[in-house]
Amino acid sequence: MTLYDKILAVRPNLTAEDFMPHGNSTIVLQNDSDGKGDYIREWNHPTETKPTNAELDGVQ
Amino acid sequence: MTTAIKGNDTSTFGGAIAANNVSAIVPAFSAYMSGDQSISTSTWTKVQFNSELFDTDNCFDSTTNYRFTPTVAGYYQINFRSRTIGTSSTATYYSIYKNGSATGINSAALATNAGFQSMQTVSGIIYCNGSTDYIEFYANNNGTSPFIDAAGGSDLGNTTTVDGVLVRAA
Repeated sequence: MTLYDKILAVRPNLTAEDFMPHGNSTIVLQNDSDGKGDYIREWNHPTETKPTNAELDGVQ
Repeated sequence: MTTAIKGNDTSTFGGAIAANNVSAIVPAFSAYMSGDQSISTSTWTKVQFNSELFDTDNCFDSTTNYRFTPTVAGYYQINFRSRTIGTSSTATYYSIYKNGSATGINSAALATNAGFQSMQTVSGIIYCNGSTDYIEFYANNNGTSPFIDAAGGSDLGNTTTVDGVLVRAA
């Protein structure tokens, strides 16, 4: 399961639009191809809080 | 004055040639991917250009960081072409990064038909200081199980490529 999927699992009110770079994007995910995997580069959502690592790790 | 030079004639120019006109010192490179690269949905991912067509001054790292770090200060024309594919995709994005941050030189394609694929080219002129500045290339696709497409059919050839050349020394 990708970071994107985990975030949607713990923040079900988010939609795909929240991650899309155009328009009202408020969340930016990134992967630098350095073996460290996906990460949250920016989180500027007006109502949903940034999930903690514990929340994300808890998603099966 | 105009002087015709022909056959084995030689000529000596009296004036100095400015460094920014010395065509021999112009780093140039062209790189591509040897295979498709899986990425995550809606995640800016650095393209792993792991093969080189040419790299005149060994400025492109195609083994570890997949970045261009020119050794001559100046303005570089950079051309980044790519295609990503993802199930039910409706948006693809491409961006040129400098020193880890987006330069604002990017491309976006949106569609209402899910699963669309588009090949896009992002081009721009970027200043590099010739020592620490580096250029990288990122792609983004909002579909399911997306990937960066390395090559199409015989008519398309490599579908994700990058090349660049110094166009004016600093």
